[in-house]
Formats: sequence, C-alpha cells, structure tokens
Amino acid sequence: MKVSKKKSFLLLLTLLLTLSMAISACSGNNSKSNQSESTGKTNNSAATAETNVAGTETDIDTSKEVRLKMVMLGAKPADSQKVYDEINKKLKEKINATVEVEYLDWADWSQKYPIKFAANEDFDLIYTSNWAFYNDQATKGGFLELTEDLLKKYAPVAKANIPEVNWDQAKVNGKIYMIPNNHMEVVDKLSLIREDLRQKYNLPEVNSLESFATYLKTIAKNEKGVTAYSDAAGNGVVWHDLDLQTLFQLNNWRLLNYAVPIAFKADDPTGKLFNVIETPEYKDLLNYYKDLADNGVWPKNIINNKADIWPQVKSGKVSMITQNLLTLASNMAEAKRENANVNLKIVTLSPNAKTSAAIATQNGMGIHATSKNPERALMALDLFQNNKEIHDLVLLGIAGEHYKPEGDDKYSAGPMAANYGGYSTWGFNSNINRENLDTPKEALDMLNELKSRVYHYPLEKFVFDDTNVKNEISNINNVMIRYNAPLEYGAIENTNEGYAQLAKQLKTAGLEKVQQEMQSQIDAFLAAQ
Amino acid sequence: MNSPLITTKQHQKLLSKRVKRRDRLLLNVIGYTSLSLIAMFCLVPFLLVLSSSFTSENSIIDKGFQLIPSDFSTEAYGLLFKYPNQMLRAYAVTISVTVIGTAVGLFLTSMTAYVLTRKDFIWRSGFAFFFFFTTLFSGGLVPWYLLVVNYLHLKDTLIILILPMLLNVFNILVMKSFMSSIPDAIAESAKIDGAGDFLIYIKLIVPLSKPAMATIGLFIALGYWNDWYNALLFISNENLMPLQYYLYKMLGNMEGIRKAMLLSGVVTNVSLPTESLKNAMTVVAIGPILLAYPFIQRFFVQGLTIGSVKG
Amino acid sequence: MNRNNFWRNLVRYHTLLLMLLPGVLFFILVAYIPMAGIVLAFKKYNYNDGIFGSPWNGFDNFKFFLQSGDAWDVTRNTVLYNIAFIIVNNLLPIIMAILLFEVAKKWFRKVIQTMMFLPYFLSWVVVGAIAYNLFNYDFGLVNGLLRGVGMEPIDIYNTPAYWPTILVIVSAWKAVGYGSIMYLAAITGIDTEMYEAAEIDGANVFQRIWKITIPNLLPTVIILVLLAVGNVFRGDFGLFYNMVGNNGLLFESTNVIDTFVFRALTLTSDIGMSSAAGFYQSILGFVTILAANYAVRKYDKDRALF
Repeated sequence: MKVSKKKSFLLLLTLLLTLSMAISACSGNNSKSNQSESTGKTNNSAATAETNVAGTETDIDTSKEVRLKMVMLGAKPADSQKVYDEINKKLKEKINATVEVEYLDWADWSQKYPIKFAANEDFDLIYTSNWAFYNDQATKGGFLELTEDLLKKYAPVAKANIPEVNWDQAKVNGKIYMIPNNHMEVVDKLSLIREDLRQKYNLPEVNSLESFATYLKTIAKNEKGVTAYSDAAGNGVVWHDLDLQTLFQLNNWRLLNYAVPIAFKADDPTGKLFNVIETPEYKDLLNYYKDLADNGVWPKNIINNKADIWPQVKSGKVSMITQNLLTLASNMAEAKRENANVNLKIVTLSPNAKTSAAIATQNGMGIHATSKNPERALMALDLFQNNKEIHDLVLLGIAGEHYKPEGDDKYSAGPMAANYGGYSTWGFNSNINRENLDTPKEALDMLNELKSRVYHYPLEKFVFDDTNVKNEISNINNVMIRYNAPLEYGAIENTNEGYAQLAKQLKTAGLEKVQQEMQSQIDAFLAAQ
Repeated sequence: MNSPLITTKQHQKLLSKRVKRRDRLLLNVIGYTSLSLIAMFCLVPFLLVLSSSFTSENSIIDKGFQLIPSDFSTEAYGLLFKYPNQMLRAYAVTISVTVIGTAVGLFLTSMTAYVLTRKDFIWRSGFAFFFFFTTLFSGGLVPWYLLVVNYLHLKDTLIILILPMLLNVFNILVMKSFMSSIPDAIAESAKIDGAGDFLIYIKLIVPLSKPAMATIGLFIALGYWNDWYNALLFISNENLMPLQYYLYKMLGNMEGIRKAMLLSGVVTNVSLPTESLKNAMTVVAIGPILLAYPFIQRFFVQGLTIGSVKG
Repeated sequence: MNRNNFWRNLVRYHTLLLMLLPGVLFFILVAYIPMAGIVLAFKKYNYNDGIFGSPWNGFDNFKFFLQSGDAWDVTRNTVLYNIAFIIVNNLLPIIMAILLFEVAKKWFRKVIQTMMFLPYFLSWVVVGAIAYNLFNYDFGLVNGLLRGVGMEPIDIYNTPAYWPTILVIVSAWKAVGYGSIMYLAAITGIDTEMYEAAEIDGANVFQRIWKITIPNLLPTVIILVLLAVGNVFRGDFGLFYNMVGNNGLLFESTNVIDTFVFRALTLTSDIGMSSAAGFYQSILGFVTILAANYAVRKYDKDRALF
C-alpha cells in the first residue's frame, strides 16, 4: 500500500514536471507571436506581388506539385475520399495539383467560417456566398482580389463564359473576390397546397391573396386535426414567412438588407427607396394576417415553433408549405413515392409578377487572401466549373455509382446516390450542369415558365455596403424581431397600437439614417452607370 | 412509566431521547416528502425524454411528448447507430479525454486550491486575484483560436480537448473553501515533524478532503463528458470527435441544411425524425454516466471523520 | 530591505510557489495571453492589419448597444434575474443537501440524489422543447389540465408576466442536483466530533443544523455567491434563448444582455461589436465584485475571495 502510494506520488511528480515544461515551452512560443505575425504579413504581401508578376508572364509554370486546401460547407459525404481520389487523378494530370477538402458542418459552419479568416488559417479555396459572409469577409480583406489579368490568365474559361452581369454582382467596392456560379436559379417562393382539400370544398384556384385566404380559412374551420398553416418561425424571423409571397414578390419590391424594411420597386429606373412599413400594402397585409390569425389559420404559439413543417405536411397535419420551386418539386416527388394517391399542387400568389434571377453571389468560390498558391487555385476552380469530366465528378460523383448519365446533359440518381453530395458544390454550377430527370414534369414546366418571366433591372448589380450604418442595422434587426414578427403573426391584440409601436421603435433605431445611406449609395451607383 | 424509582439523571436521559425522537420524526417527515417531491419534478421530464425517444416522429408532432409512447418506434436509435463504429469511436474519445482530464485536472485543482488555503502564505490573496480575474475578462474567441491553431498547432489533437478544461477558477475556489474546514493544526503538527509542503498536501490534505475531491472530480469529469464546444472549434478529423460533438453535429447538420436550402435556393432532400432523435441523443449521452454514478456516489453520501484520520 | 524580504519569502515559500506554478502557467496561456484580444472592442478590425494593427475607432463598437434604447432594460433584467438565481440556486440546494444528509435511509439518499441530478444532463435545447410541450396553448400539458377541469386555458407564450417565475424555477430545477452535491460535500467535510458534542449537550436536530451545519457551510456559500456576483452582468444565454426563443412578445421581461447582443448581431457578425458588449459586461462585473469583496473583507478577512 505504502509503496504504491509512493509510486503514484513519483508518477504525479513526473507528470507535473513534464506538463509545466510543455506549457512553458508553448508560452515561450507565444512571446514571439507578435513578431511572427508581422513577418507573416510581409510574406503575404510578397506573395501577392509575386502573383502579379507571374500574371504578366505568358506561360504558366506548373512544374512544382501543390496540394490545395479547399473549405466547403456541409457534412462530409460517405464517399468523399473515393470521389476526390478520382478528381485528384485528373487535376494532377492537368495542372499538377491535388485538393484536400475540409468540411464545415451545417451544424456550426457559421461560427467557424469567420474565425478561419480572422485567425488567418492556412487554406486556399473556400465556398462563399452572399448568405455566407461574402461581403463581410471581402471588406475585411479575407479574399484575394481576382483581377482581370489573373482571371484571363488562370481561369480563362470562367472569365469568358460567365456573363458580365454576374461578374458585376460579385463586385465589392468595385473589386471581384469570387468566381460566381454560372447557372440561372430562380429563388421565388411558392406554396405547395393540398389540392384534394381544395377540390373537396369546391374552392377557387389558389392564385391570389383572396383565394389563398379562402383556402386557409376553410381548412381551419372545417378540417379538424389539420392546421391550415404553420412554419418554423421559432428559428428566428424578422418577417412573416409568407411576406416574400404576399408582399415582396406580389408587388415586385426588393430589399437591400433582409432585416431592414427599406425597399425599392424593381422596375423603377430611379431606384427610389421607401419605407415598407409605411406603405398601404403593408398596412392592408397586417389586417389580412390578423384576420387569418383570428380564424385560427396558424397555431397561437407559432413564434415559438421550431419543428420542421414538411414532415407534418406529408402526414397530413398541416395543409401547406412554402419553399423555392425545386425544393417543393422534390417534396412532391417524395410524397408521391410514399403514397401514389396524394394530390398536392404547387401554386403561386403572384402569377403575373416579374421574377428575378438569383443574384450570382448566391453561390461562388473565393480564394483566401493569404493562399500560397493562388494561381493553381484559380486554375483548379476553372476546371471544377468548366471541365466536363471534373465538373460531373465534383457535382454528381462517379458515373454509374452515384448517378446515371443520360446523354450529354441529363442524369438520374444512381444506386449509391446517398453517399455523395449534400454539400456546397453549388459554387461550381455552370451552363454544363446536367438536368435531373427525377424532377416532376409539372415542376419543370413551372420552372421554365418562371424563367421566361425573369426580368433584369438596373439595380440588379448594386451591392449595399453597410459599414457606416452597422449600429443602426443591428438595432433595426432587433426591433424587427421584437415588434414586427409578433405583429404580423397576429399575436398582438390591437393591431393599430402594435403598428404605432413598431413605427416608433424603427425610428428610434435609426431607420431614416439607414435609408439615407442606402439612397445615396444607390444614387451614386446609378449616376456612374 | 413515570416510576418514582427513576433517578433524575436517568429521567433526563429518557426525556432527551424522547425529544430527540420527536424532532427526528418531524425532520424525517419534512425530509422524505420534500426530497421525494423535488426528485419527482426532476424525474418526470427525464421520463418524458426517455419515452419520446422511443416514440415515432409523427406521434410526437401530433400529440407532443408523452409519458407512455403511443406509437412505439426505435427509428431514432436506428439512425444514431447507423454507423456503430463511429459511435463507438466517439465513446472511446470521450472516455479517454474524461479519464485523463479528470485525473490531471483534479490533481492540479486540489494542489492549487491547497496553496491558497495556507494562511501563512503571504501572496495567497494576490494569487487568488490572479486566478479570479480570468473569470471577469476574456479576450473572446478569435485570439484564442489564433493562439491554438497558428502558434500551439493543436488543431485536431486530443490535447486540445483536454487542455482548456484542466483547471477552472470555480472548481479551485470551491475546493479551497472545502479545504479550509480542515483545521490548521494538522498541517502545523506535521510541519514540526519535518514534513515539506508538498508532502503535507499529498499525505494529509488529499486523504482528508476525500468528499471534496470526489465532488470536484465529478464536476471536472462532467465538464469533459458534456463538452462539445472545444471539438466544434478545433476538431475536424472524425476519428477524434467526442460523443457530444458527434451527436450535436448529427442534429445540427439537419437543421443547418434546411436553413441553407432556404437561403441558397438549392435542393437537398432531408427529412429526418429530429424530435425523437434529439431525445434519443440525450439518452445515449447520459446512459454511461448514470451507470457509473452509483460508484462515485459512495464518496460523498457518507461522512468522513477527521478525528479517525488524525488518530 | 523589501527586496531582501522578497527573496527570503521566495526561498521560504519555494515549495508552495512551485505547487502553484502549473496553475499560474495554465491561466497565463489560456486566459491572459488571449486577453490581449480585448483591444478588438476599440478597433475597426480587418485581416490585413491583424488584431494589433487594425485602426482604432474609439467607442464606435459600443454604440449599437448603448444607443439602442434597450441598454438599460436588458442590463436591469440581467442583474435582477441573476440576483434571483443566486438566492434560489443556493438556498434550495442547501436545504436539499441538509435533508439528504439527515434522512436515515441510505438507499433513499442515493436514489434521490441520482434523480435530482437528471435535469443537469438535459441540454437547454431539450429543456426548451419540453417547456414548449408543457406550455403550448393548443396542445400543451398545462392547458390540457386546465381544460380538463373546465378552466380557461392560459396563453403562456403571450404573457410576459409569467416568465420571470418560470425562468427562475427552470434554472433552480436544472441546478439543484449540482448544487446539492456541492453542499453535501461541504457538510460531509464537517468534523463529526462537533455533532457528537452537540448531541451530548442535548441539542435537538434543528438546533444542531442551525448552530453547527449552517455556520460551517458559510465559507462555501460566500465563495459561491462572490463568484456569481462577478458574473452578475452575464445572462445565461442557453437558458434564456432556448426557453424564450425569438418570441418578441416576451422580450420586455426576458431580454438579457447576451440574448440582445446575439439577436442584434446575427446578421452582422462583427467581432469588434461583440467584443465591445463583452467588455461592457466585464467592466461592470469587475466593479461590482471589487465592492462585494471589499465588504466581505471588512467583515472577515479570511472569507474574502482575494
């Protein structure tokens, strides 16, 4: 007993010594941290200078093999290794480079993404998007500027293929920091309703605010056990989830910042901004929503609901869901697979409104400002987006396993489809994307119809820089969560009082200042056109 | 009963025993009822979680959490153990991190705390302040991340799962307050016998603070067991993912992809039983602790007689 | 003279100092070195210039918080909630620990203790889901019971007045197991000879608890309260965010500094601004703890934190 005590004591002592030594060695490193940081900086600027020099030379030197680190969003697919082994074979052969992917899980990417830049971690390529901090990281100097020369030399196909409007949209303060995707997407929100219930009660086609309200109210009144409308508002809302359809798409308004109720009319060439809250359309909508809420269309505590809606629609507990077209299409296909008798229909509340294509920065790929191999990274991006073989591999996986190619431009799901995909390869989308044969035909028709209504407007290329009004925007964000969401969901008994409160709080939060800042940037932008 | 033969002394003794019995009874009534009540409050929600983890997703959406599953289903567990190897590896990582971290952490915590209890140590309140100050001010995430990733190069190592939680000020100070109930005389008499400070700590203080060591040891272990944040920041190698992070990731990936779908206009088909899954994860994560708990418990359920050690 | 003393002390306490060394190095590494990042609160951060090179911008980062008009409200909420938590989350575990120690049956003590620890393991996300299932207007358990006995259902998620009580109860419920173990350890550390002495003096159980157990718990209580006081300006984000969610109707009685900042910065994600909010909480907490510690020190030097 005594001996073992002594032994454990000696063991602890050794442990203590090694530990304190290890720690002091580490902290020794840190005292030098400032120094190495500053030298790191000079190295970076040297690297950029080098690339510029390289850009002026004519032939590209790829004699040295490089390994590129690529950061993507999403869960690591089961067959990631397998697919990237194939990709790397091709990349090695073409540009003497290989890529290594790091996946930032959906669970926590938004926490990790800015930190990777802030801490200047070592990586070369990274997925980026207007909803994934593109503007923010670009203004702070996180991405390498992609100059005309760099693009022409190292990504010539992308440079030539991607339309000018996409490049313009990718500009932050006049400079390009990403290779945007080259594939038109329509982001309009639509609704998937229970066509069987609509027919059961002989209701008119749902294609307007009135017919929509009739549909919802009839179900709320007559269908016991079915909730007419529900959404996962608890996950954080500024607007009512229906606003995109009932307010913005219907009236052809566009917001510059999702949390700020300042909009412009897409077809207004002067780009005059207005306060959404003050419009008669918004005020009418409040009464419209209040009426729905009072008729029990949605659950009373909807603002606290976090549960996913689609499973509830599928099991018949909820009578509709809103989403973008292709998601609804895949939902519909899924429901049909499980039960051939379901009768669902995709409807729009604004059949005549102009739609707008998704802005190009919706999906793209950027190069880290301190990448050691920016030339090779650009070349790889060009191949990912525009080389047929590599493009198919990275987007769809291995032919015959993960997908079945049908002709040159179509595909259907392969036997192992579940083992690859589901992460942010969307930045590589381009005009050589294969079309999915599994999408229901009526959805495809609708997609083509939507695409035919796509409208290009002058301010499409405008990107708002929020540097000067960050404080105001954070406050407006808070006010909208606190006062607008409950008001729109009809949770406030007296709509007029609620409205007055919202208007007052927005004013205090500095809405006017933000509007002025936005307007002056727009005016300057239009004047420069 | 009240026989006149009884002496006053005996009478007193009897009386005191009766008083004792009455107050004991009262205390027991209060004790058993209020403890049972509170314990029920704590147990029922857990039972809700347990039974919901065995309920089909539709039934949860429909009727909410239920005490008795109306539609029994093991779908959530099936999903969790879809890749049993990954799950076992996650358990292995968590167990090793917890064991190593608790052993080293408990040693360092108690040693640091002991020095702070020494009234003759003139710098003790200075050091106490040095430690305490770190609970008030922090530099935030970015400098810490930068330090770990770029200077210590500890990304994707087991060390980074252990190191940040070895010591915390709360545990040190609570330990210190436990230890301060040990009479100073013990250390002083040992000193006179010629024992050094470290020896006093190891030979006398550690055995004397067994309940405190067990408690703080438990707290440290629970901290390691439940930690997912360090893994979130610094682990991307799936072989080094601890259990809680593995579970967190599974759930978060489903919720995250839904948000990304809304924002990006892209399509990915996910429809998973998130509600029952959440509950099944809780059960899977608590299970081993509940099994180990009775063994740890005996250290702090019974008292410790200082006199017996002293003698 | 002084210097001589210092060296003499250094020699005299060298073992104790060596014993403190790992702890000191640890906190230098994980806390003091990264603490330099506090400067971010006063900077307009960009990557090219790094943490120290970025330009200063004075108090600009604090503006979003201080000018919001909510700064006072959320600060007050934070402090009031924390005071309630400090009182309830110490009192309840103390009572539970004393009762646990006093009741006779060993198996009962073990079972109860295990049960009381269960809530600690439920993550706030799960607790939030349970609460939603209890309090929901349409299918919640509470309203189901009310309807069952013929009473009007209450709309809990629409009534701010209920929430302070709910949150204090939930916080106590989750903390009771952890706290009672801590106090139980403190009680078991009390020399049993003291109890025996009291018994011989003829004290009854309640007198014994009052005269011996509680005074002996005091050092632990003071330490825990002081530790909590230093963080009285920090809200328990997990509790508040998962219980209330983004339900604006409840903000007036549930918004604390941490949830306010989180909601304000979800879209901006500005490092400088979040550093500024953290710094504001730190400074206020620092001043408060200095005052509290001074008061305790005046009363009894050995009980103070530092």
